[in-house]
Amino acid sequence: MLPVASLLILVPLIFAAATFLTKTKNQAETLAFAGSLATLGLTLYAYLNFDSGSAAMQFFESISWTPSLGIKYSVGIDGISLPLILLNAIVTPLLILYSRSEEREASNRFYALILVMQAAVIGVFVSLDFFMFYIFWELTLIPLFFMVNLWGGEKRKHASYKFFIYTHVASLVMLLGIFGLFYASWQQTGIPSFDIRELITQFQFIESGGLKDAIFLAILFGFLAKIPSFPFHSWLPDAYSEAPTAGSVLFVLLKIGGYGLFRISLPMLPNTGKPELAITVMGLLGGVSVLYGALLALRQRDLKRMIAYSSVSHMGYVTLGAAGLVTMSVSGAMFQQFSHGLIMSILFMSAGVIHKNAGTRIINELGGLASKMPKLAVLMMLGFMASLGLPGLTGFIAEFLVLTFTFGKLPFFVIIALLAIVITAGYHLWAMQRAMFGVYNEKLGPVADLDFSQTFAMAIIALLVLYFGLNPSPVLDMMITNSEAIAGFAAAAGV
Amino acid sequence: MLLAPEITIAVTGLILLLAGLFMSPRSKNLLGYLATCGILIALILTLDSFGINTTMFSGTLSIDALSQFFKLVFLVVVLLVAIAGIKYNENSSHTEEFYALSLFATFGMMIVASANDLIVLFCAFELASLATYALAAFEKQNPRSLEAGMKYFVIGSVSAALMLFGMTFVYGATGTTSIPQIAANSALLAASPIGLVAVVLLIAGFGFKMALVPFHMWAPDTYQGAPSIVSALLAAGSKKMGFVAAFRVFIVALAALQPDWQLAFTLLAVVTMTFGNVVAVSQKSVKRMLAYSSLAQAGYIAMAFAVLSPMALAGGILYTLAHAFMKAGAFIAAGAVVWMVTSERKGQPKLKLPDHLDSFKGLGYRMPLTAFSLMIFVFSLAGIPPTGGFMAKFVLFSSTIEAGLPWLALIAILNSALSLYYYARLVKYMYVLPPEGGKVREPLPYAIALVLAVAGVLAIGLWHEPFVQWALEAAKVLV
Repeated sequence: MLPVASLLILVPLIFAAATFLTKTKNQAETLAFAGSLATLGLTLYAYLNFDSGSAAMQFFESISWTPSLGIKYSVGIDGISLPLILLNAIVTPLLILYSRSEEREASNRFYALILVMQAAVIGVFVSLDFFMFYIFWELTLIPLFFMVNLWGGEKRKHASYKFFIYTHVASLVMLLGIFGLFYASWQQTGIPSFDIRELITQFQFIESGGLKDAIFLAILFGFLAKIPSFPFHSWLPDAYSEAPTAGSVLFVLLKIGGYGLFRISLPMLPNTGKPELAITVMGLLGGVSVLYGALLALRQRDLKRMIAYSSVSHMGYVTLGAAGLVTMSVSGAMFQQFSHGLIMSILFMSAGVIHKNAGTRIINELGGLASKMPKLAVLMMLGFMASLGLPGLTGFIAEFLVLTFTFGKLPFFVIIALLAIVITAGYHLWAMQRAMFGVYNEKLGPVADLDFSQTFAMAIIALLVLYFGLNPSPVLDMMITNSEAIAGFAAAAGV
Repeated sequence: MLLAPEITIAVTGLILLLAGLFMSPRSKNLLGYLATCGILIALILTLDSFGINTTMFSGTLSIDALSQFFKLVFLVVVLLVAIAGIKYNENSSHTEEFYALSLFATFGMMIVASANDLIVLFCAFELASLATYALAAFEKQNPRSLEAGMKYFVIGSVSAALMLFGMTFVYGATGTTSIPQIAANSALLAASPIGLVAVVLLIAGFGFKMALVPFHMWAPDTYQGAPSIVSALLAAGSKKMGFVAAFRVFIVALAALQPDWQLAFTLLAVVTMTFGNVVAVSQKSVKRMLAYSSLAQAGYIAMAFAVLSPMALAGGILYTLAHAFMKAGAFIAAGAVVWMVTSERKGQPKLKLPDHLDSFKGLGYRMPLTAFSLMIFVFSLAGIPPTGGFMAKFVLFSSTIEAGLPWLALIAILNSALSLYYYARLVKYMYVLPPEGGKVREPLPYAIALVLAVAGVLAIGLWHEPFVQWALEAAKVLV
């Protein structure tokens, strides 16, 4: 058995270093592509050897690192992390392929950053020790910051600093929560440990209810700001829309906030001082995110900003489903993370092509692009349909599961989210109609369609959206297995 | 032979001083290698004496985990300085003075680390200080260097007087200068207002060396004006002497007055780190920026006095070691850049600020090794994993949570987030902005010193266990 979890971090890092040393754009692309394919191969190996009927940690490795502080090098993969690793491993090579046709300076750094990002995100998913988890969590900031700061749009400086400071401060609050958990557990057991699962187990034995709530809220805040959930979302529209296309897609693949909810917050939640209140708050934030994100998306003039706000709206389902805390709602929320990653990748790639080929992203300045860009029109249409929740595509399954199974516990917030469905359909169709259909806007001049590598990258993702929309079980089964464990734990605690 | 490392250092210094009398400037280049060898021997002897716990000379010197740990810090710093000094003193006629002064300063610092008696502590403190005053003014033709030495000397002398004054109060109230006996009699101090006066005077005296705000006025000017490698010795070595002396005097001797000085250090820590970071943001001179960042780092270390748990002290002690590597390394890298800029402009009028940020433009291309090392050092100073600075902050900041001071952790953490701004700006100058000149061959001594410092920073960051263990052992001496 290969030590897959470690290799999944190491391989992209090694290829990132090699890519950084290349001299030409072509070399950098080839090497980065090879690296991402190697990661994809490892991920498929993990997937094929994975037992989706077991909620236990698989491919587990653990080595003592700093015994006097209880820090271990400890990694593993389970049904919560594998679908997200799969998402990342599938989209990254396609993203590199897609980025080929864009002109830019310093390609070697650009592709190296994409691979560092991949290593960091996968690192968060496989880490089972809070020390490593936090290191990888913070490492994700660096590639994203430089992506936006160096290759972003006009307001890239502002957007990159805002994103960095906002989410960095939120992570630091999370770190304080982790420290609190570490010392509280140390006092109980007499043995220092940063092991995530050990600390979650010890959490229930903390005597002081106030301390429990403080720890839980500090960690939850870090996750909610990263998802991002209303009202901590204000960094997102700037960062997503100012980033280059590849940067936006990397943001979309940054599913670590939602992952943290499932891995850490939900197992802790039943043991907090007031679990009902925590659930209500999470439900409220999730429901409001869905509606508020949709309302803001409706009034955007810039196509990419509209997509960015729709992302806030869709990520609301993750928080909402997590708050539902029954097997199927949590599975739906997990599936929404997977589905959202695929769908948003298509949308941002479409917006990137339109911006590059037509010269503008302002919706009203476009018009009738479908006649000049038929390939784009088909793929983008599919992305938009998936995003608005058309049955048969992945978005529908995720949102259906979340709404149906959360209703029993939080009917009011589900109704808020339901209101948004109409608006969501509205802004998607309206934007599509104005930008793609109707009479061609002659002011745009001649506009080229997708080239081969762009078509290939987007078509593969589109096919996956369709495939998992019709047959979600290859990833949904393992999510359900792990959600059962989470929900069972909550039920046993009487929540 | 428990004092073997100190004796080695002192004897090496004397030999160099004597040998220098009979050598030509060219052959004096040998002296740097000799000094390096002496320091290496002392380093090995110190490492060998870990685990010994005893006192010497009627209890005036104590050999324990704390003293040996700090000796290690001082020797590491002076080793880096000595190696880089081989290039700095190339073909100079004052080589032997440079090395002898550095070694005498180190000798003083090492005795301070062991001092278990106020008189011994003060004498050693002064030995180290006098040597560093002269070193700060080492470039006799450079007005900035003279200003640096002068400021350092005047303020240093006043602080030494204050410190001595504080010590006389302690002696007056307890009737002894031995630290363990003061600790035994410290109830006498706590009972009278003299105790408070002594605490205030001692904080002012040590605060000067530790460069805590508001006793920091000399630090930016001195660190900026002094030769870069001397700044390395001051910021990374001599500052730590202030900390180890304060650890022993306050935590061990004045334990009965803990509520008073703990409050004072809490305030000083918060003010120092915030002031240092905020002011560093607007600096254009890299050495001055490093000086303010050094203030901020002293503020973090001073948190150990505020929290006072074994974990916090271990964190503070670990921080001094990490800081020794990263700050000495950063100043040496700045020294390499100053060397590059001045050697390029031979014959032209001298630059006012050779260490201006603009000199660092495109350094990643011009001096790849220096730029890469400097990047590692500033990332470590900012507390980014996987560096020693991150690990030290991790231990130190986490300890505040244990002690129930989340607000202090929050201030410290926000401060280190703020510091990232000016550190990242330096990295941007080095790697993003285009170079203003061709590639430069990096002098070998600088390169070796930088590689050693990088190795130290990464070793603490990746292989924490032995360092954390040492720091915990050293902290046990205090509580």
